[in-house]
Amino acid sequence: MVELRSTGKPRAAVRTWTSFMTDFSIIGKPIAMVDAAEKTTGAGKYTDDLSLPGMLIGKILHSPHPHARIKRIDTSRAQKLNDVIAVVVGADAPNPYGILPVGHDEHALAIDKVRYIGDNLACVVAVSEATAEAALELVEVEYEILPAYFDPEESMKAESNLIHDNKPHNLEKDYHHTFGDPDKGFAQSDYVTESRYLANEVTHAAMEPHSTLASFDIDSQTGQAGRLTVWSSTQVPYYLQHKLSLVLDMPMSQIRVIKPLVGGGFGGKSEVIPLEIIAAVAARKAKAPVKITYTREEVFWAHRGRPRTIIDLKTGVKNDGRITAVKARVVQDGGAYCSYGVVTILYSGALLGALYDIPNIHYDGYRVLTNKPACGAMRGHGTVNVRFAFESQLDEIAGRLQIDPAEIRRRNLLKPPCITVNGLRVQSYGLPECIDKIVERSGWKSRKGKMPKSRGLGIACSHYVSGAANSIIRSDMPHSTVNIKIDRDGGVVVYTGASEIGQGSDTMTAQVAAETLGCALSRIKIVAADTDLTPIDIGSYSSRVTFMAGNATMRAAQEVKKQIASAAAKKMNCAPEDLVFRDDSVFKQSTDHVGAGLRPAQEEQNSASVSGRVEGQILRGSLQQKRKDEGPKDSMSFEEAVVATIDFHGALTGTGSYAPPLEARGGKHKGGGVGPSPAYSYSAQVAEVSVDEDTGEVTVHKVWAAHDCGRALNPVSVEGQIIGSVWMGMGQALTEEMVWKDGLLMNPGLLEYRSPSSVESPEIEPIIVESIDPEGPFGAKECSEGSLAATIPAIANAIYDAVGIRLRESPFTPERVLAALRAKKNAKTLDMTEGVDPTAPVRLREHGGALWFKGKGPERHELDPARRTEGG
Amino acid sequence: MSLADFKLLRPRTLDEAISLLAPQAGEGARATRVIAGGTDLIPSMRQKLFEPEYVLDIRQIAELKGIRETEQGTEIGALTTLSCIERSSVLKQHYPVLVEAAKTVASPVIRNMATLGGNICLDTRCLWYNQSLTWRKSCGFCIKKDGDLCHVAAGGKKCWAAFSGDTPAALLCLEAEIELAGPQGTRRLPLNDFYTGEGDSYRRLQLNELLTRIILPKATADLSGTYRKLRIRGSIDYPLAGVAITLKCLNGHIESGRIALTAVNPAPVLVKKASEVLQGKRLDEELAELVGDLAAKTAKPLTTSALTPEYRREMIRVFTKRALLALAN
Ligand SMILES: Cc1cc2nc3c(=O)[nH]c(=O)nc-3n(C[C@H](O)[C@H](O)[C@H](O)COP(=O)(O)OP(=O)(O)OC[C@H]3O[C@@H](n4cnc5c(N)ncnc54)[C@H](O)[C@@H]3O)c2cc1C
Repeated sequence: MVELRSTGKPRAAVRTWTSFMTDFSIIGKPIAMVDAAEKTTGAGKYTDDLSLPGMLIGKILHSPHPHARIKRIDTSRAQKLNDVIAVVVGADAPNPYGILPVGHDEHALAIDKVRYIGDNLACVVAVSEATAEAALELVEVEYEILPAYFDPEESMKAESNLIHDNKPHNLEKDYHHTFGDPDKGFAQSDYVTESRYLANEVTHAAMEPHSTLASFDIDSQTGQAGRLTVWSSTQVPYYLQHKLSLVLDMPMSQIRVIKPLVGGGFGGKSEVIPLEIIAAVAARKAKAPVKITYTREEVFWAHRGRPRTIIDLKTGVKNDGRITAVKARVVQDGGAYCSYGVVTILYSGALLGALYDIPNIHYDGYRVLTNKPACGAMRGHGTVNVRFAFESQLDEIAGRLQIDPAEIRRRNLLKPPCITVNGLRVQSYGLPECIDKIVERSGWKSRKGKMPKSRGLGIACSHYVSGAANSIIRSDMPHSTVNIKIDRDGGVVVYTGASEIGQGSDTMTAQVAAETLGCALSRIKIVAADTDLTPIDIGSYSSRVTFMAGNATMRAAQEVKKQIASAAAKKMNCAPEDLVFRDDSVFKQSTDHVGAGLRPAQEEQNSASVSGRVEGQILRGSLQQKRKDEGPKDSMSFEEAVVATIDFHGALTGTGSYAPPLEARGGKHKGGGVGPSPAYSYSAQVAEVSVDEDTGEVTVHKVWAAHDCGRALNPVSVEGQIIGSVWMGMGQALTEEMVWKDGLLMNPGLLEYRSPSSVESPEIEPIIVESIDPEGPFGAKECSEGSLAATIPAIANAIYDAVGIRLRESPFTPERVLAALRAKKNAKTLDMTEGVDPTAPVRLREHGGALWFKGKGPERHELDPARRTEGG
Repeated sequence: MSLADFKLLRPRTLDEAISLLAPQAGEGARATRVIAGGTDLIPSMRQKLFEPEYVLDIRQIAELKGIRETEQGTEIGALTTLSCIERSSVLKQHYPVLVEAAKTVASPVIRNMATLGGNICLDTRCLWYNQSLTWRKSCGFCIKKDGDLCHVAAGGKKCWAAFSGDTPAALLCLEAEIELAGPQGTRRLPLNDFYTGEGDSYRRLQLNELLTRIILPKATADLSGTYRKLRIRGSIDYPLAGVAITLKCLNGHIESGRIALTAVNPAPVLVKKASEVLQGKRLDEELAELVGDLAAKTAKPLTTSALTPEYRREMIRVFTKRALLALAN
């Protein structure tokens, strides 16, 4: 850690007067989401609700084999079926694509090989879903089955039959980082501990299944297919536009992507998903609009969730609990395609830093290809599984050194502003306060160690980026740009590329714009995520929207406001700097602005004032006429000020954009671009659990979750995000797990993939900590992902506190807990998880998870490594 | 997943229903299916487990609904919903074990649709069976549907799909009888005789028969009883193991006791020996342990669902023991 000296002047970039205001009228208020009504009444339209005249339905044929060469594919019988309009195959769109520039390894439909059960082979376009499904049965495919790889450690040994020919040993990417002097760090330590942790695979399970509607216009000049419009459930409209242009060989300017309402993403829609490309390719061939909506099973195959991960973690500490060195080896079972994999494996290493002060770090990360659906980005991308290991190990160390687990965390705090040993710049740092708050609220000091039998408390911390400082496409382009237009109707239209996916992006944009302009919230209209209308924003992922699009919105609003201020200042005979914009009016700083027609803020939010005039008068300019002789005033309504500005300047527009500052973009080492962020959020949690020692069932009674979000622009929405993160983390901790049998997903549905129901949702007490980040919009930073990672180890540590077992394999299903309890008591062992001890797991089992299926499963090649008989 | 086209038959009386069923009933996957609440049938039709030409909707038949007290006991119409059973004061008072079991089924919303008849007739379940057509194709199908081998018992030619209804375990403890109506009139049989113990042809219901009524005898009214269900989530999940117990105690001694299991065999089963062992005994820790072991021996779970068979059998033991001790207090 390098401490940054305070220079006396604010660290923030150029700011205007609003950034230092503390008394806000719109932000900081728990207002309802701007799209709440349409969502709760069902009036809102998601992609699958849309339909176009002549629209056809597409259905995708998926591979039944985990790894096979396609010898022949014959669609003629399917094509002949009544009401089938077209059948598309790989040859119809052979250009490769992928979300990362280094990972263009996907095709719209398989060209020569299929690489997982569920891989995409062909798409039938028909007038109805049932016809399309029936036609799928008529597509004939002849395969040559190849050996398949399911275990990442086995896969790394592969010499032949590689999943991708250009990836030797099925290794997508490996990184080896050394920061500081880890050997010396371990040598200086008083106590070293080392363990293996396994985290099984989880997926997003967003409520809305993916859906895409694609339609071509006919070019009036040529009569050929012209521009393409795609409506899609996406978190990243601009990436989609870009990848469509690659695969379809069309200029981006000819492609328009529109994002309707999205029913949750959690990362599962943060890259281009096969159906989005397939729908467009199919629409081109069918010469008609085509809609594809995934079944839930297809959502599981599209996946892009959190990979099964092996973490070998070693930590060295001094007797006082100070960490001297950390060494981590992480192996990720990435599935058959690159997806965001390279970023995931880098985050797993980079985010060892920026939470605590760790002077020496060694990291070996391996992203491995296997014949399973591709893993990608999922809430808490890259950090979650490693954090589970780290916080569990820290708890163990605290126990060993007899230091309170909350205290050992305090002893390892960073001293911001600083740059961590791995090059991450940390400015605002609310972790100490988060720890204080949960210790106080949970009664930690008085209750820890004195809990009733089988009941326990556990603590853990986590952090996350507020957007990546470097975009996945390396360039100096701003990450967000926002345009604002105000016309004579007094309405403020904000054009933002930011994608509302349920997280509150549109609401945040409206609040930031209204606060900056000092106008009523009801004036703000959001036009979002439509590539024809809105300027580029790279999307809703890595918790970047509030920080980056929020800053861009604020800058656009400030630009507009400057124009209004100069016009209003002329009217009021004062300097523009003397004006205050607030509560839908503009007034001189010195005046008692109650006289300016100020109403209680609550009311202001709901209605834009019209200053007692008939709306139409403004258009005729009669307002100016009427008031011409009134002389200079002390205040104006927002609308009057707008009209005055438009009279002086013409149309009132402004643009703001945001690019992360150079100082925040990280170290120069290979892979150093992933991990840096302009700001980090911080979280600390205490979980209270009880364990049924006869059944192994774990009940989470309560979670206290403190989260440093910089500033809560909308506290109710921040609380919602904290609660959601804890709940999702609890799912991964206790019940959620993708279970495999030779590459076949055994639980591709929400009945057998068990996200928690409301019954087992514990009481969650969200605690907002505000560290006011110097660069965030109004000081705000991330709040939607960072809390998730703390929940899993908090529960693991609470289980240890309750019954003395240290679970190192997640999820902590009842059978794993019982197996561990039995082992501890030396009681009769039960062969519950293939003889594996969840307190000392050895390897990921090919057949995955809690279940092991002895059955036949999909057909296998005789050289298949997984065919060898399994040892214990 | 689309729902394939079918013709919907909607009779208003039982006779009409039987007459429609008799000539229509086809063979195999195309055979006419009866629909009550549809919470089991519809998902299976989407997965192409059934592709009936005709679906016979019995929901219009008023005589199949409701709970009546009669001379012999209490009769429950096959169409009575589980939420109706949950709220019934008669059942709560006299047959609490049934109410308790009904309350654990699926979720409140599903129980508003789900019927008792449907719960009894419920198809057996298996992770290798309750999957989409594409999925099943990728592992070469299974013996229960379109294939010729069982995946869970390697090399096995017997289907081990587990019966996974909750209420039948309670009904077995209550010695319930059921009435079936067909073209030849009605027949009545103990519920225990309804199930075959085979995972594929799991019930003794002719293609042209309907389940009309469930009769709870007077003799088993007012027994103390309880139902314990193993599931991962507190709602929605099917049972991974279920134990129902009824006891009649006199002066601290057990006059009679019955224990039935569900979700761990292809049929809901009575733990036969348990009744003998319990009879006349005083309930203590040791006896509960012994009976728990007996129950666990009766359970034959295989990898048909989540959680390992070993664990599920172990939970049968734990739940039985705990339930007995809870009833003793
Ligand atoms: C998400 C989910 C969770 C579930 N969880 C549980 C659970 O925890 N426990 C549980 O027991 N069940 C569960 N179920 C299954 C189902 O909801 C219940 O078993 C329900 O009671 C079935 O009744 P139904 O009326 O909906 O049956 P239907 O779907 O209408 O019918 C089921 C079967 O019975 C036949 N049938 C129905 N009525 C008659 C009759 N009168 N005569 C002849 N044949 C008939 C049908 O032909 C069909 O084969 C769940 C279902 C879902 C979708």
